Amino acid sequence: MRLHEAAVFKWVVIVGAAGALVVAVTLLTRPLVGSLLGLAIVIAGCVYGYRWAAQKRREVGSKK
Amino acid sequence: MESATVAVGHDHADHHHGPPEANESSRIDRQTLGILLFIVSEVMLFGAFFASYFFLRVVVDPSSWPPEPFELPKAVAGMNTAILISSSFTIHYALESIRRGNRAGLKLGLVATWLLGATFLFIQINEYVHLGFSARDLGFGSIFYCLTGLHGAHVFVGLMLLSFATIRAFRGHFGPAEKDHLGVEVPGIYWHFVDIMWIVVYVTVYIL
Repeated sequence: MRLHEAAVFKWVVIVGAAGALVVAVTLLTRPLVGSLLGLAIVIAGCVYGYRWAAQKRREVGSKK
Repeated sequence: MESATVAVGHDHADHHHGPPEANESSRIDRQTLGILLFIVSEVMLFGAFFASYFFLRVVVDPSSWPPEPFELPKAVAGMNTAILISSSFTIHYALESIRRGNRAGLKLGLVATWLLGATFLFIQINEYVHLGFSARDLGFGSIFYCLTGLHGAHVFVGLMLLSFATIRAFRGHFGPAEKDHLGVEVPGIYWHFVDIMWIVVYVTVYIL
């Protein structure tokens, strides 16, 4: 397993897009709405990250 | 049988000099493990500062945030954010270039990344000069300078790493093979991490 720059760059784009969305919603509405949206995005990101890590573990385990 | 084993062992000892080779995991290579552990430790460091920030903001609960009469330059910091994010694109371009054997693209990407990073740092310092409050002004001033200063220190370290990579690129180092451009790839991963952290810092401190 290797960590490639391209994979991390993908996360810069994802976090950048999520940040831009939160900034836009906050400026258009109220900071509370932006905070809740940000929290929802962070939770969704954690669930996605957990599933991705579990899949990687299975892949590595099956190669052994 | 025993004499044969001794003979093989003796033969092996004749060919191996120096300390025994380091054990290497078959699951994850050393570079990946090193950068992963480093990034995880950095996330925890930033996490500690964010915990302080949210403690001051939520638990201490001032009537308004930022407290009167402090004001943060959202637009200037937004421009600075755009500059830093664009530097992630340029370092990605540099790495894609060297993967295809394009040395000119590598040099151009690295120089552009360095200049964008230096511009970000310059604007940040300029912002500090014109903010009108210091780290000694209430808990807000302290945590603002600590969080943005911690990130600024990371940008400075990233610029140092990029300087070495750029000098090496101009001296003809690096090649298209995966192991031949690790000296750009690892600073690139670090630079992306610094960018991601800034997006989080900007949204949390300046916008929310």
